[in-house]
Amino acid sequence: MSSAPRRLLAVLGASAVLVAAGIAVSASGGTTPADPPAVPASTLFRGIPERDGVLGDPSAPLTLTEYVDLQCPICAVASKQTLPWLVENYVRTGKAKLELRTLHFIGPDSERAARVAAGAERQGRLWPFVEAFYAAQGGENAGYVTDGFMRSVSKAAGVDAGKALAAADGEFALRRLERANADATRLRVNSTPTFTVAKGDGAPKVIGSGVLAPEALAKALR
Amino acid sequence: MTRRLSVAVALVGLGIAGYLTVAHYAGDAPVCAIAHGCATVQKSAYADLAGVPVALLGLLGYAAILGSLAGDGERARSVTAVLAFSGFGLSAWLTWIEVGELHAICIWCVGSALCMTALAGLSAVRLA
Repeated sequence: MSSAPRRLLAVLGASAVLVAAGIAVSASGGTTPADPPAVPASTLFRGIPERDGVLGDPSAPLTLTEYVDLQCPICAVASKQTLPWLVENYVRTGKAKLELRTLHFIGPDSERAARVAAGAERQGRLWPFVEAFYAAQGGENAGYVTDGFMRSVSKAAGVDAGKALAAADGEFALRRLERANADATRLRVNSTPTFTVAKGDGAPKVIGSGVLAPEALAKALR
Repeated sequence: MTRRLSVAVALVGLGIAGYLTVAHYAGDAPVCAIAHGCATVQKSAYADLAGVPVALLGLLGYAAILGSLAGDGERARSVTAVLAFSGFGLSAWLTWIEVGELHAICIWCVGSALCMTALAGLSAVRLA
């Protein structure tokens, strides 16, 4: 065999070894962890009243509503980048109250998550539950939304996990899912996260989708 | 000519991998043209290889390829080819994972996979 083909074979052989090693490591790390993750305790909404899923002063002149799917990774980013600013500047100051609509279009785990979130809402802990969920969020439809995961999230959010899981199969949870779908359809919300704002008793209007910059939000909320 | 072309492609790949690495460590979702594809891939269990972000591995891979392209001898060509073929193989595996398991497409990852494919082809030509 001449030197060029020999060299090509050697190169291919070395490459194959490297690729096989990479795939072996990647595949072994690609399984869903058996144990639920440790979820950091929710702190963003500490001290803010929540009633019927409405966060903040019920008489606040502005009502901001966020449409989410709990499996949506951009919603988790928005929760970390946009919500703290909103909470600090509008909710804690009494200018706005926050509402949430949990949609479930990404997959069956979205529905399960939304139902348990409704169970957390019944305990006045919807927003901390959602914050804790995002902190431990996995890949879309990766199968991590187990009861064990929900228990970890509930614990971090100060939610009674047993009651929340039981409520997930109840009528209230179903009504919350139906309300979210109906509102989204009415406002033509077709991606998450989407934010709407209502001034006083006025009709809600979509102000944008995705991770919104504070400047854009401030302009929409004037 | 193939060496210059390889350098150009490797620089494009370096830019893509660099952006994804910055997005990874900043905790941002990459700007993505296809729904939530990039964020889904970035948050998946396949985004790390033995604890090292795949984006960072790509960055190091492209840097190594560029380094190997500094020379034009037989050994340098062989090193470039090993790196490019390995990158191509791993990119193909990760693309298969995106489509088959994650059901999400990260347009930046596809761009990087195309760069690796081009580099593998150019390396084969340089070896011949």
